[in-house]
Amino acid sequence: MATNTKDDTKAWMGARLERKEDLRLITGQGRYLGDVVLPGMLYAVFVRSEYAHAKIVSIDASEALALPGVVAVYKGEDLMGKVKSMRQPVLLPNLPAKFPEYWALAVGTAKFHGEPVAVVVARDKYVAVDAAELVAVEYEELPVVIDPEAALADGSTLVHPDSGTNEIFGMTFTGGATEEEQKKNEAEVEAIFAGADVVVKHRFRVHRTGVTPMEPRGCLCDWSDADGLTAWITTQRPHIDRLGLADILEIPAQQVRVIAPRDQGGGFGVKAPFFRENVVVAFAARELGRPVRWVESRYESLMNVGQERDQINVCEVAASKDGKLLALRNRGIADNGTGQTGVYWGFVMPFLGAVEMPNGYTWGKGDIKLRVATTNKACLTPSRAFGHFPTRFAVERSIDMVAHRLGMEPSDLRRKNIVPQLPYTSVTGEYYDSGNFLKVWDNLMTHIDLPAFRREQAAARAQGRYLGIGFACGVELSGVASELLVPMENQPGYGAASVRLDPRGKVHVYGGDAPGGQGHETTVAQVVAATFGIAPTDTVVTTGDTGTTPFGAGTIGARAGSYFVSAVHKACQELKKKITRILAHDLALEAEEEDFEFANGQVTLIRDRSQTKTFREIVERIIMAPVNLPEGEVGGLDATAFFEALKPMICFNADFCVVEVNADSGEFKILRWVSSEDVGNVINPMIVDGQMHGAIVQGLSNAMFEQFIYDERGQQLTADFERYKLATAADVPDLQITYASTPCPHTPLGTRGIGEGRPSSVSGALSNAVCDALAPFGIEITELPLRPDAVWRQIQAAKAAR
Amino acid sequence: MKTINVTINGTRYEETVPVRMLLVDFIRERLALTGTHVGCTYEGVCGACTIHLDGEAVKSCMLLAVQADGHEITTVEGLAKGGELSALQRAFRQHHGLQCGFCTPGILMNMTEFLVHNPTPTDDEIRQGLIGNLCRCTGYVHIVTSVRAAADELARTGGA
Ligand code: FES
Ligand code: FES
Repeated sequence: MATNTKDDTKAWMGARLERKEDLRLITGQGRYLGDVVLPGMLYAVFVRSEYAHAKIVSIDASEALALPGVVAVYKGEDLMGKVKSMRQPVLLPNLPAKFPEYWALAVGTAKFHGEPVAVVVARDKYVAVDAAELVAVEYEELPVVIDPEAALADGSTLVHPDSGTNEIFGMTFTGGATEEEQKKNEAEVEAIFAGADVVVKHRFRVHRTGVTPMEPRGCLCDWSDADGLTAWITTQRPHIDRLGLADILEIPAQQVRVIAPRDQGGGFGVKAPFFRENVVVAFAARELGRPVRWVESRYESLMNVGQERDQINVCEVAASKDGKLLALRNRGIADNGTGQTGVYWGFVMPFLGAVEMPNGYTWGKGDIKLRVATTNKACLTPSRAFGHFPTRFAVERSIDMVAHRLGMEPSDLRRKNIVPQLPYTSVTGEYYDSGNFLKVWDNLMTHIDLPAFRREQAAARAQGRYLGIGFACGVELSGVASELLVPMENQPGYGAASVRLDPRGKVHVYGGDAPGGQGHETTVAQVVAATFGIAPTDTVVTTGDTGTTPFGAGTIGARAGSYFVSAVHKACQELKKKITRILAHDLALEAEEEDFEFANGQVTLIRDRSQTKTFREIVERIIMAPVNLPEGEVGGLDATAFFEALKPMICFNADFCVVEVNADSGEFKILRWVSSEDVGNVINPMIVDGQMHGAIVQGLSNAMFEQFIYDERGQQLTADFERYKLATAADVPDLQITYASTPCPHTPLGTRGIGEGRPSSVSGALSNAVCDALAPFGIEITELPLRPDAVWRQIQAAKAAR
Repeated sequence: MKTINVTINGTRYEETVPVRMLLVDFIRERLALTGTHVGCTYEGVCGACTIHLDGEAVKSCMLLAVQADGHEITTVEGLAKGGELSALQRAFRQHHGLQCGFCTPGILMNMTEFLVHNPTPTDDEIRQGLIGNLCRCTGYVHIVTSVRAAADELARTGGA
């Protein structure tokens, strides 16, 4: 039994507690967006462009409107003058970019296959689908630009003629702020390359892929002339949705309430942007004075969102012959799609991908540039491993190539160059606050006897079997600090939480983030339980409702374990102080907060344990009987806290995997996957394990299976799960997750936010393993996806070249 | 329109439905049993809509409501008996076999039937058995652990 506050904290902190969320979810009692129904609700279905680029000559809705049950059809022109354009200041990053103007429904021109051009609203879902097919849209096809390099060439077709260019964003990430400084840096890097013992240079191509939450998007809007708009939206950032809707629909902000349903079927970044469809549904609800719901089909979802990565990186590494990484030079080109997505506009992901490119290595110098091109494809949307999936692939592969050239073990070369001491600022200026990278790395290496593996590999090769091992590591953001989030997404980075105690000694926590499966209800309840010495079942957590929660940046970028729980903890501490102040007064004692222990539902004076009250008693007294209080004190126990760490924070991980490749067919099998993680102090190890599993398998699925394909006319060919293949259980291995954590000194509980960036190192480790297996053929993989046919072709080419 | 008789989770329903109404919509929208989910465009790939039709796991987006006429259906809401969770449900909770829970009802229905036919599965067999259910959150690791734990539990307690 716990005897003091510290031990009791330990009892709930780090406990493998079953999740509070699960009972409802395993019995079919979850409440997702598609389960919310309002009386008189109408159904919206979008009509979407059949062409990647076309003039909309006319839209004839007469046949659709004639269908019984159809209530309205709206097209782009119908919105004009009633809603503003999607390019509103609140949705613009503070980065210099050519933000295209666009409206919630296409006006005049459709710019990608799947863009919404009209919406049908009907009393019945089936009728709405029928009617959408009856809307006759006459298009005049325009030339398309679907290749990012072609898009940047002179004379290219422009996706947004008003911008005067397809280069929506471009930036140099190294050297300094001025052009002069950057030029100087370029020259210095060039000098390093000129004198380096080893230089590797390759063009790395990562395909268009991302994450597809199992629950697609949706929204349900209810309008009342008196109260304004209430919108249930599948969203990771309800507070930004609220501001965006208010500004675009010109509704006073106090009359807009956004509610992210308590249960959401995953987000992974895909539900983080501000989406045009929600504006259309809100508009329709206001026009019709009836609730309107849109539930996205999988087809629409795959046409419109979850598309990311899609980059060319020409990456060069200079190294000395003893294996020191001297310089990193990269020229990246990202395929942005149209850029018509609020908050991110597509390019914010490649922007961060360039920032995070140096990873956990001590490059002497860097020269990193990025150009982002608009094309007639769906706009990139954030996808777990936000932005840096392609750059990390390039770096991790390049490091192996350097090792191959030097005849060094890739793992030795990595260890030699891993940032040895923190804090550290990368060559792109990214701040790595804390942790111990070498400890993580060395822990990883304890799980493989490398010399023994090399012997086994040689013996297998002698029998015509090809085994390989591959390594990679990843520095990931542990939440995004205001320092980065304000420029990047025009919003604050702090965590925010309100903690409200009730007279029965129970706790209600309100947070402005909006989770989708990460287990916030459980983790937060554990933190509250640890602080107040009560049971986790005594706490209820509400998230996602802008009507009741403090402003939060959203469930994005691994913020729960870093920013959100820290804000909860801070609010609890405030309340604890008040409780002990009043308790000391009641007991007529000179005592401070530290003199009391909160454990097992009791608040006890440590030096005289006979002085004790139940948590409920003292809480009830302060809320319900605020008489005889210390001077200047008032009753009530309700606190809102905002938490911002002094510095941006990170977490770190490393992987290795062992594969066997069939050199006749190119097929490969992952025999082992082992990770090593620094996740800081852990609140619930089961949840942390689960985050790692999901992230690594998403990385594998992206690297091996998933790919969005557009043909030369910009037709999207992969809008169902038959063609856009996700990894199934049978496609992926079991995973061994191990830990070598260092508490984070910048959060009150030593926790780190984890899981968001985690997929990024996966493709490097996997490709490195396949190349290692096929070392006798001298194969270097530079493109994803990594599929048997590609491996087979490389083997054939290598054989032919002999 | 056609009138159908179906028994769902032990309750008999007589309902008149449009012939083209999908069984999944009938269950979710007509009967408000929203534990059964829709994760793909009725392609039969994601498995979120899996139910039992006369004890057999089927994807309810691939059937019309009228095809269920005269049949017996169990949905995820009917898995717990008398307020008591099934061994599989308990295992999912204990081993963190779910995160967002969107795929979970379909997986529970599929694996409930799977364990009837294969009470002592290997991990590989469990993984093969899960091919018809996509999960985006868990990487399947804890799902496999949960199914195996349920199989062990059922073996220990002699079934159901
Ligand atoms: S909804 Fe996806 S298989 Fe039925
Ligand atoms: S738990 Fe989220 S899709 Fe499986």
